[in-house]
Amino acid sequence: MASDKELSDFLKSVEKRAFKRTVYAVRSDDSALDIVQDAMIRLAEKYADRPAAELPLIFQRILSNATMDWYRREKVRNALMTNLSEFESPEPDGDFDLLEMLQTVEGSLGTESAADAVSRAQILHLIDAQVAELPARQREAFLLRYWEEFDVAETALVMGCSEGSVKTHCSRAVHALAKALRAKGIRP
Amino acid sequence: MNAIHRSSDRHALEARLGLRLAAGLTAGTERLPHDLTERLRFARELALVRAREARSASPVAAVGVSASGGLLLGSFAPLLQRAASLLPLLLLLGGLLVIEQWSMRERVLAAAEIDTLLLADALPPSAYSDPGFAEFLRSEPQP
Repeated sequence: MASDKELSDFLKSVEKRAFKRTVYAVRSDDSALDIVQDAMIRLAEKYADRPAAELPLIFQRILSNATMDWYRREKVRNALMTNLSEFESPEPDGDFDLLEMLQTVEGSLGTESAADAVSRAQILHLIDAQVAELPARQREAFLLRYWEEFDVAETALVMGCSEGSVKTHCSRAVHALAKALRAKGIRP
Repeated sequence: MNAIHRSSDRHALEARLGLRLAAGLTAGTERLPHDLTERLRFARELALVRAREARSASPVAAVGVSASGGLLLGSFAPLLQRAASLLPLLLLLGGLLVIEQWSMRERVLAAAEIDTLLLADALPPSAYSDPGFAEFLRSEPQP
């Protein structure tokens, strides 16, 4: 059973990412805060007796469900539009140079040089904006897999899809982000 | 073989880029406005209070007290409480059945009393002088 401190530490470690992830989905700070609070309370009320190691997976599942509940309640038309956009670009650009983009991003974010501070902030903002533009399922897979650092099986469990779908979504998301950043002028 | 190797390299590259981009998101998230971080802190503290309430409520549920005052132990408590909630309905149905039986018995007794009175009514003396009636009295009851 997770102690109060373990639960508190876990929520503290995840709350900002949970908030940001929800903002990407619902595009509203207030709604995202409500959803995150709702998810935290659901976790605390129903799963506080679970071991601390199980909390991340359970919380992400609850957060996904809470976000879906919000969509159902609000009946946001944009949600439908977002889902429809998943039909776009069936294959990532195979010839796109990911390595080149990796070197660029690592070069821009990997070092904390004072001279590059403004440029770094711009790139962070750009990444944030481009993640927000991803189709919902791609974004969810990307954030769970690379931000929450879940493995493929855990991500599939949270998203309620197959591991193959997770791999596909992640691959498309990374390619889309790399392509978008390159289009914005981020080059080696 | 080369195709498998290339695919593996490609996945590794995607993963590295994905992790780097996500690290960029983390850096951006650290700079959330103060009011947002405060609301998140409030939500977290509220959740912790609810967790404490949920934990303290669990032992009470494990040893419940039924309506009749008896102790209900362990995981049987909710089941027995649910069964106890059906008790008034069962009592009502039982009462209706008793009333129906009692009413039926009353009707049968009333009919029997009328029959008894009719059958026990004294015959006029002239009846015994009636040959037909005398024959009736002598006759065997038909099977």
